[in-house]
Amino acid sequence: MHVDEHLEQLRARFEDALKNSAGASSLDAVRVAFLGRSGEVTALRRSIGKLPPAERPAAGQRINEAVEKMERALNDAQASAQALAVGASLSQRIDVTFPSIPPQQGSIHPMKRVMHDVCAYFERHGFAVVIGPEIEPDYYNFDALNIPPDHPAREGFDSFFLTPNLLLRPHTSPMQIRTMQQHRPPVAVVVPGTCYRRDAVDARHLYQFNQCEGLLIDEGVHMGHLKGMLTGMCRELFGSEQQVRFRPSYFPFTEPSAEVDTTCPLCRGAGGECRMCGGSGWIELGGAGMVHPNVLRNVDYDPEIYSGWAFGFGVERMALVRYDVDDIRRFFENDDAFLEQLA
Amino acid sequence: MRVPLGWLRDYVELPADPGAVAQMLALVGFPVAAIETRPIITGVIAGRIAELGKHPNADRLQVGRIDVGDGAPLTIATAATNVSAGQTIAVATIGARLPKLTIERRKMRGLESEGMMISADELALPAEWFEDGIMQFEESLRPGTDVVEYFRLSEAVLDVEVTSNRVDAMSVIGLARELAAYQNVPLRAPDLSNPGNGAGGPKAEVTIESPDCRRFVSQIFTGVTSGPSPAWMRIRLALAGQRPINRLVDISNYVMLETAQPLHFYDAAKIPNHHLIVRDAREGERFVALDGSEHELTPQALVIASETSAECLAGLMGARSSEVTAATTQLILESANFSGPRIRRTAGQLGFRTEASSRHEKSLAPALTAIGAARAAQLLAQSGATPHEPAAFGQPLSLAAPIDFKISDVKRILGYELEPQEITERLDGLGFKVEPLAGGVLRVVSPAWRTDVTSSADVIEEIARMAGYDRISSEIPAVRAHEIASGDYRRERKAAATLAALGYREIVTYSLHGAQVYEKIRRAGLEPPARPVEVLNPLSEEQRYLRHSLGPAMVTHLARANGPARAFEIGHVFYSEDRQPLETAMAFFAFSAEPVDEPEWRDSNFLRAKGDCEAFLRAMTGESSFEIAADEREGFHPGKTGVVLMGGREIAVVGHVDPRLLRTFEARLPIYACRMILSSLPPYDVPQFKPPSKFPSTYRDLALVCDIDLPAQRLENALRSAAGAWCTAVRAFDEYRGSQVPAGKKSIAIRLTLQKPDSTITDAEADALVEKAVAALRSQFDVTLRA
Repeated sequence: MHVDEHLEQLRARFEDALKNSAGASSLDAVRVAFLGRSGEVTALRRSIGKLPPAERPAAGQRINEAVEKMERALNDAQASAQALAVGASLSQRIDVTFPSIPPQQGSIHPMKRVMHDVCAYFERHGFAVVIGPEIEPDYYNFDALNIPPDHPAREGFDSFFLTPNLLLRPHTSPMQIRTMQQHRPPVAVVVPGTCYRRDAVDARHLYQFNQCEGLLIDEGVHMGHLKGMLTGMCRELFGSEQQVRFRPSYFPFTEPSAEVDTTCPLCRGAGGECRMCGGSGWIELGGAGMVHPNVLRNVDYDPEIYSGWAFGFGVERMALVRYDVDDIRRFFENDDAFLEQLA
Repeated sequence: MRVPLGWLRDYVELPADPGAVAQMLALVGFPVAAIETRPIITGVIAGRIAELGKHPNADRLQVGRIDVGDGAPLTIATAATNVSAGQTIAVATIGARLPKLTIERRKMRGLESEGMMISADELALPAEWFEDGIMQFEESLRPGTDVVEYFRLSEAVLDVEVTSNRVDAMSVIGLARELAAYQNVPLRAPDLSNPGNGAGGPKAEVTIESPDCRRFVSQIFTGVTSGPSPAWMRIRLALAGQRPINRLVDISNYVMLETAQPLHFYDAAKIPNHHLIVRDAREGERFVALDGSEHELTPQALVIASETSAECLAGLMGARSSEVTAATTQLILESANFSGPRIRRTAGQLGFRTEASSRHEKSLAPALTAIGAARAAQLLAQSGATPHEPAAFGQPLSLAAPIDFKISDVKRILGYELEPQEITERLDGLGFKVEPLAGGVLRVVSPAWRTDVTSSADVIEEIARMAGYDRISSEIPAVRAHEIASGDYRRERKAAATLAALGYREIVTYSLHGAQVYEKIRRAGLEPPARPVEVLNPLSEEQRYLRHSLGPAMVTHLARANGPARAFEIGHVFYSEDRQPLETAMAFFAFSAEPVDEPEWRDSNFLRAKGDCEAFLRAMTGESSFEIAADEREGFHPGKTGVVLMGGREIAVVGHVDPRLLRTFEARLPIYACRMILSSLPPYDVPQFKPPSKFPSTYRDLALVCDIDLPAQRLENALRSAAGAWCTAVRAFDEYRGSQVPAGKKSIAIRLTLQKPDSTITDAEADALVEKAVAALRSQFDVTLRA
């Protein structure tokens, strides 16, 4: 049979196949069947070898022309099939209000998030974050902090003892001593961590709680720097309008000492019938003050040269205020609704 | 401390609003826990009973003609029985407002009553602390006097918190002094000179045998009479929360509340030779206190004894045996100073605390002994007793050591400057003596009643308090560079962030638990820790032990969930080594899942847990592949547990939680968990980029039949090392056990990915590599290719 005849039949079969194909994938099948590596056109090309040499170029030429035509047709068909598919897709209408398929999402505990936020704020201002053991000897808990045995202030730290002189730390302040023993000034650290006190548990008190301690020691550090940093921290945690108030207080390891209050974020300081602050317009955060010269002497810092401040705030308490939580025990109950709402 | 505002006003000018006073106290360091307002009472005046007779129409009523000072006596009927002619009493006139009623003109059994004789209860005083019936006043109270105004009954009572360093301010005068200094107004202190000074007369000798008694002022009073205290004193004590007893006991309580110095009065007739001895109690010495409580003493306790017996438990309470009574005519006053720790230890040991001990245990200033004695002598003299010469024993009073205080330290510590003039005025108001020295130094001497101010820092606090803490500015410090690292904290924070990103919810649980955790472990047939870390003084049995693992709380948490849940915790666990309690920071994550329908030799939930473990470790260490070997660990399923080693250290355990524990912890769903020792994790190793080949890769899937116990990872490792550098990945992706393979065998499908760095790998090259790798595998293991 002549090449032309073969081509004619091939073209007819190709057009049939094209006509019967629907969609992009069946077009691919047509392309493989006719133009593929072992397709019909390849077979026809092989048959050229059987022609007399003089006829071969012309036959090859005609096959190439036919292939070009077939490719064009295939491409056109593919383009219109795609256009059709896009058109079909465009006409789809779904109910976007149907509930989402949620991702598997974890979360950070709300108390820990407050802890991380406090640390991040101080890190931004050049503080390091150090953590320490929860079991501490009484030296670090008391003696080094200017609370000798028999000091009445030891009663305020009613502690769980593990041995006669090892206890679960009632505050994070032991890390002040450990840090200053290891480093010379400047010292700028915050210490987050778990503490324990033999307190009866109620909606405002826990026997296990977390504290965030801050310590800055250098030449020329004064109490205004403490107020400045704590004001910044409160604005970060509770809102940009927060104010900080100091009231005189007493802690053996600071002098002067202060109780730190911040504007009640719920009533914004208005007081009245506010359930969060009880009408005072202020929320108590915890204790602070200028590090006592005796504490500095205990770590061989010269209090005539160096000065500094420290503070220690309850993290659950800050979280309670920040998230308007009614009962501090919720921070240890891990109720799913609680963790979910504050995720 | 309960402070009646009216009492405070005696000694210092104050704003009318109790809230403003409370605010001021808070700003000088004495927060007010509560302001107790008094009910509104009007129209109550003092009246003198001019005549008293029977009611004409009622046997149980009496009718009085009451002089109320205006010449027009009132006719008032009463059912009270404690009234008689000549008494001065409380009268509510027509229109008077009392807490529970308003007085109206009314007829009592046909007789018009022009008011009402009233009791303490109607004045909102604790009725059980006052006379049964109509409230009685002294004759000296002029009829017509407004009772509420005179006794300041409308003034609020403040509940003031006093810090433990300021025992001097556990007193009305102490607080008045703070408020006077803060407002820069004078303190109107009562006369504190002792009327017995220079009087001569009998003295009570005191022998001090213990250094824990630092000072003892004794004073004898004769011509003492008993009976109730004047109304003003009884009312003040009642408002301050002290029950009035009698003239003598009331004076000692009143002086303590006013000056902070506790006192004790002995009936002099019961003290042989008027000789008191301060000594350690004898072992087993019996002591019956004034309140009737009985104590068996040890030498820990300090007593004040007569020559025959202990008559006072020092700093706590006197003995019943020498108590002042209605028959007392002479008394010995004790105004003493004791070592605070000694009193605190004794009080703790005996479980016995009093108002006096709460002051003594905070170490009062020795100089207060003379002040307390003087005030008591003033009041006793007013009651008609004769004060004799006081005698002081013990250490001599010395002036406080002067503090040379640099004015520039105010700026250095507080951040703002104060003129020396203002500093001096502020300190002067509190009773400090200030003397300027050369070179910007002030020499400061503490007042005798203060023992808490001993250094420059203390002086600065006094200045700051009086100048007002609000003067402290807000400044952001420029923190200088330092070398303190945040490594451990950052690791914890990153661990938390990574686990949250992997879909786990962070929980925080208590570190202390009770024995029931060990009970559940035992019921599972397992052994709880042999030496748990135990608290010596737990609050309750529920808080006796420190957790040895984060597992029990986690399993309890997941068991509580309604369905599958995922959670993690980062926290410390505790253990004993050589009897030393130790702790380690751990990360623990776990999930509960519905069981999958699959053959018993496969657990795809385990593989999910392992995948999360690997993803976590990759984020924490920067490593991308880990060796995980089957092993057994306490708390985990013996056949579904893997241990991750890095650099020879065990860094993680991942597996199915021991099903026996799941049963005793009542977990409905299987739980898969992973625990990591945070401190064992190697530091993050920054991965280095290797450019991938630009040429296409190919792969070959092999079905290998091998021994049923051969871990897939060993096949993978052998294939990888045999195939060489062109092998870019080896991963087992399917496993088959059953009738299609011989007994004791399994079939593992493994995909090898092959790629050349510099050209496209040919089929022939790929086939040759695979053949070589399989040959190597055959020589190491008994492995055949499955057709």
